[in-house]
Amino acid sequence: MSIFHGMNTSASALTAQRLRMDIASSNIANANTTRATVNENGQWEPYRRKMVVFEPQEKSFQSFLQSAANRSSTPGQGVEVSAIVEDEEPFKQMYNPSHPDANEAGYVQLPNVDPLQEMVDIMSATRSYEANVTSINATKGMLMKALEIGK
Amino acid sequence: MKLFSETFTTLENSLNYATAKNRAISNNIANVDTPGYKAKDVVFKDVLNGELSGFETKRTNPRHIPFSDNTTMPFKTITKQGTTYNHNGNNVDIDKEMNQLAKNQIQYQALVDRIGGKFRSLESVIKGGR
Repeated sequence: MSIFHGMNTSASALTAQRLRMDIASSNIANANTTRATVNENGQWEPYRRKMVVFEPQEKSFQSFLQSAANRSSTPGQGVEVSAIVEDEEPFKQMYNPSHPDANEAGYVQLPNVDPLQEMVDIMSATRSYEANVTSINATKGMLMKALEIGK
Repeated sequence: MKLFSETFTTLENSLNYATAKNRAISNNIANVDTPGYKAKDVVFKDVLNGELSGFETKRTNPRHIPFSDNTTMPFKTITKQGTTYNHNGNNVDIDKEMNQLAKNQIQYQALVDRIGGKFRSLESVIKGGR
């Protein structure tokens, strides 16, 4: 429990939301990428949409002991990205026989990225980021005010 | 008559409460997008008297960890279980948290102001009103 606990908590969320933003940007940037990975047959596969998985950060021994002994929980230490997972939805099919990656039937497999979904995700990440900046400012205001005690 | 009156202790406890509350709110806002996260809140122990006075195990050694919360702080952090506001099991109400953040900040500043006032009047007494 240090005095900057609250700020560290909010800072961890800023990092997490920025990573979420990066992932959404990467998804939009690769919305038409047909050659992202090579599958086991040695053929090109289109880009797969990626997602972040958030997890609360409360893994300290102290927090587990306290919750076991007192049934009271400590406020955690923020949030962390536990994994970046790929969306297992099937790829989009588009008829375009002249495309270099078209199959025998003339269909091209395109990434399973939905720009609409990504835009919503970006806006959500932006708002959450702003909320955490406000929280940092509040904590900062309180700490600065605490320095005035006894002045 | 003590030099530092009861008021100092009361204000100090209130400042500790506001700090703990700020931590809980910061953590809730940080986890606003975390699936399955349940919001935390800081409450005064009086509110939870029924829950707290329930169990006390016999300790054969004073160094054993007690089951009940015997810290000197008059408040404790609880997790708000049982509700779900979002489809992913999360129950952080961002509007409520931001509101509480602003409120808590003002309360903290008021407390610091009061404790400063106390110190100033004490100073005035020590200097004999000069």
